[in-house]
Amino acid sequence: MISTKDLGEELAKISFDLAKRDNASYAELRLVNTRSEAVTVVNENPASEEASTIGVGIRVLYKDLGWGFADTDELEHDSIRETTKKALALARGASKLGIKVTRASEPAHVDKWATPVKKDPFRVPTETKYEVLQETTKRMKENDVVARRGQMTFDFIEKYFANSEGSKIFQTHSYAGVSAIVAAKGPTGVQRRSVQQNSGGGYELVDEMDLPAQALEITKDVLALTHAPTIGEGKSDIILSGDQVALQVHESCGHPIELDRVLGYEANFAGRSFLQPDQLGKLQYGSEHVNIVMDATLDHGNGLGTFGYDDEGVKAQRKYAVKNGKFVGYLMSRETAPRVGESRSNGCMRAEYYKLPIIRMTNVSLEPGDWDYDEMIEDTRDGYLMVTNYGWSIDQKRYNFQFNTEKGYRIKNGSIGEMVRGPTYAGITPEFWNSCDAIANKKSWVLWGTPNCGKGQPGQTMITGHGASPSRFRNIRVFGAS
Amino acid sequence: MSQKMEHPRVLLRERAHQIFTTAKTVAGKAEAEIMLVSRVDEYLRFGNNELAQSQYSTSRNLSVRIASEKKQGRVTTGTLDKASIERTVEKALRQARESPEDPDYLPMPGSQKYRSVDRYSEKTVEAPAELKAGHIGSAIDLAKKNHLLASGVLGTSVEHVMMLNTSGLEASYRGSGGYFSLTMDADNGNQTGYALSTFSDIGELDPNSVSQTALERAKLNKNQADIAPGKFDVVVDPYAWSEMLIFFAVSASTGYSPDLGMRQYKEGRSYLSGRLGEKILGDNISIDDDVYHPNQAGPPFDGEGCQKSKVSLVENGVFRNVVSSRISQHRYGVAPTGHELPLPNPLGELPTNLVIRGKGATKTSEELIGELDKGLLITRFWYVRETEPQTKTVTGMTRDGTFLVENGEIKRPVKNLRFNQSLLELFNKIDAVSEPVRNFSEAQQFRILQPGILARDFNFTSVSPF
Repeated sequence: MISTKDLGEELAKISFDLAKRDNASYAELRLVNTRSEAVTVVNENPASEEASTIGVGIRVLYKDLGWGFADTDELEHDSIRETTKKALALARGASKLGIKVTRASEPAHVDKWATPVKKDPFRVPTETKYEVLQETTKRMKENDVVARRGQMTFDFIEKYFANSEGSKIFQTHSYAGVSAIVAAKGPTGVQRRSVQQNSGGGYELVDEMDLPAQALEITKDVLALTHAPTIGEGKSDIILSGDQVALQVHESCGHPIELDRVLGYEANFAGRSFLQPDQLGKLQYGSEHVNIVMDATLDHGNGLGTFGYDDEGVKAQRKYAVKNGKFVGYLMSRETAPRVGESRSNGCMRAEYYKLPIIRMTNVSLEPGDWDYDEMIEDTRDGYLMVTNYGWSIDQKRYNFQFNTEKGYRIKNGSIGEMVRGPTYAGITPEFWNSCDAIANKKSWVLWGTPNCGKGQPGQTMITGHGASPSRFRNIRVFGAS
Repeated sequence: MSQKMEHPRVLLRERAHQIFTTAKTVAGKAEAEIMLVSRVDEYLRFGNNELAQSQYSTSRNLSVRIASEKKQGRVTTGTLDKASIERTVEKALRQARESPEDPDYLPMPGSQKYRSVDRYSEKTVEAPAELKAGHIGSAIDLAKKNHLLASGVLGTSVEHVMMLNTSGLEASYRGSGGYFSLTMDADNGNQTGYALSTFSDIGELDPNSVSQTALERAKLNKNQADIAPGKFDVVVDPYAWSEMLIFFAVSASTGYSPDLGMRQYKEGRSYLSGRLGEKILGDNISIDDDVYHPNQAGPPFDGEGCQKSKVSLVENGVFRNVVSSRISQHRYGVAPTGHELPLPNPLGELPTNLVIRGKGATKTSEELIGELDKGLLITRFWYVRETEPQTKTVTGMTRDGTFLVENGEIKRPVKNLRFNQSLLELFNKIDAVSEPVRNFSEAQQFRILQPGILARDFNFTSVSPF
């Protein structure tokens, strides 16, 4: 059977010959071969599903004036020619309503790259996966518990990319996701506790997460939450858990630095951004403690935003979005980079093969600070610790946000005290990040994964990474979820 | 280019039977079910008055379920040559072997009778890209004339589904649909207007009306006034809450899983567990799950091929029923309503075709605004999430045009507001409704027919800087 790489090379040649003949000024092809598995247990009910897809996405630029994209899962030569023709026809049509496209240059890369994997999940029998999940949900079984859920997901993706400028790149990506959720009903209504992590790599994540052990902890928590008090509305200092900081970075920094949003191309759905180009290098986005990087390299960690090359063949890079609190950089594509005076994209175009690549987050991470976590708690006189997200919402320019968390604790005179249910905080993005006065150090820093970032029309879902450690914010508006 | 007969129905049926023959052979004594889905989508996407992202997509997806000795496995593939199909069935057999026994396993259902639905439009299927580009070109021209930028998408989809199993079931469906979503804006998004129209038959689309609505709202939505948060009476445009009403049927408390199914209700997982017969909404509000409504979409059968029934979930404010399935029939002795998800499904049943309606005569949006003494007109909600499951309290923002109304007239635009609002409470305070429209959301594919409303005391809690 022909390999994905060899098949990709064969199909790219057919497509590019036709595109060149029909006056395309640029063409690229992605052949993507995906295998995935999801295993789930809810209460006593099991479910498993394996999926495999293979297909080609072809993007062409006609006379530097209009883009067209077409995809197919039929890989015969005639089908590739037909798909290329469809992309060309759309590009010709778009060129009539388009403007001159200028693209940042990128060297032609001939290379290969692979996600490091310690334990191949597809060699672990499904029954072993079920054993872990059944033990997890079994340990959650208590009076008042109404829902118990454990899940693991694995993806193995072979991706061949080529473009008409000479790039030929073959990458293999492996991702794993592990989660457990328990819900209980009591005097305070229905409460939820969960644990979740998604990362690059394989079955080693299941071993690291040890869901059965965590099941006991979150079940104890959720039962306590059904009797825990809520919190009153007011201003308070807050410390957020690392996973909550990761989502805060995703929503209030990762999205507003997407340059396509800034330029108005997402105005109809995902929205625009408050971070305008004239603020680059000037706006004090956060306090001096806040440093946020956009880093797709493996040196940053094996995250959901780690790769060798993006989906328009740009090599993975590390750049700052926020440096010492100052807003300094965007997530870009080859087409948008010149619009803010950059000579090179930082490699953020990503999509499934059957979707048009758009600018997506790579690993957008808050760098660790210098606080020991315990010392941060001890240094807090009066406030709340808030742990793990329940709900999240932010306006279309990424200013006004509200996050509610699953559980919290009162902090009094440097000690963690009473548990509280559904603690919620809200604010305006630059004010919030400027109130950050402490970030925990490398010991508490984790590269978290967000497996479900939505953007684009028609809607696309993308995986993104966010490194973060627990952080403290002063004088924030807080209240209870209900 | 059009989507005309890329996958003719008759060929799909033949192809499905060929695949099923192969699947049965490999499955041997095990039960087998196949679902073959073929889709063709065409989207013309535009931004900043440019036709920026045009795409044409074809896909075929085969999903195979194998059941043997009360164990089940499901494997899907997009590769349909004979060897790949054989490998897919072999994988499903292995999945089933390595799975624990499913306590809810039932033998696959046999031949069913289906009430037909007509939601396949030749006009939509044959619509060339040039027609869509023409509609977009007109919107862009209008925006340019008014010194605005047009952004949005006009997309169409054609879907064919075939389902077969070894108990003799055969189900098929074909449907078409599309939407035109448009924003006109200026001043870096500080002045925006939004309009949406959904259709099954592209002939129903009035692109000029969409463009005019977006234009009028954008022109009005300039120099927004400050506003203090608080409770306001509101008129909600029917298209405004396409991302909000899903929370009637999905719960974050159990991990964004389906709700209003019998299994969730009986197990105590549903936010309405134990409340059948209670009055939960205003007596002028009813909610059905009705796939047969002429404006609804999707197949008339569920994830295991059983016919869907119309179910009255809420009647005149009283919580009457939840949806069910063969599994619930077996567990609890209730009548199945055909709302199973593809098996194995540990999450429970899901109503997929909500129809929300008011009692008595409906009103136009203009009439609803005319009846508002003082309050806000909401043209679009955004980023809605559940914050509290029992009361179905959700938070979110307004965007693209929030207007102060006084004495039945739009007075001025105001800045965008955040709300924290219980859906159960809101639907107890509705004074009047408009005719329901089809929702559309990029964020979720949930089919709801939703009315515009005039309601009291909507709870806004903060304001955005724009």
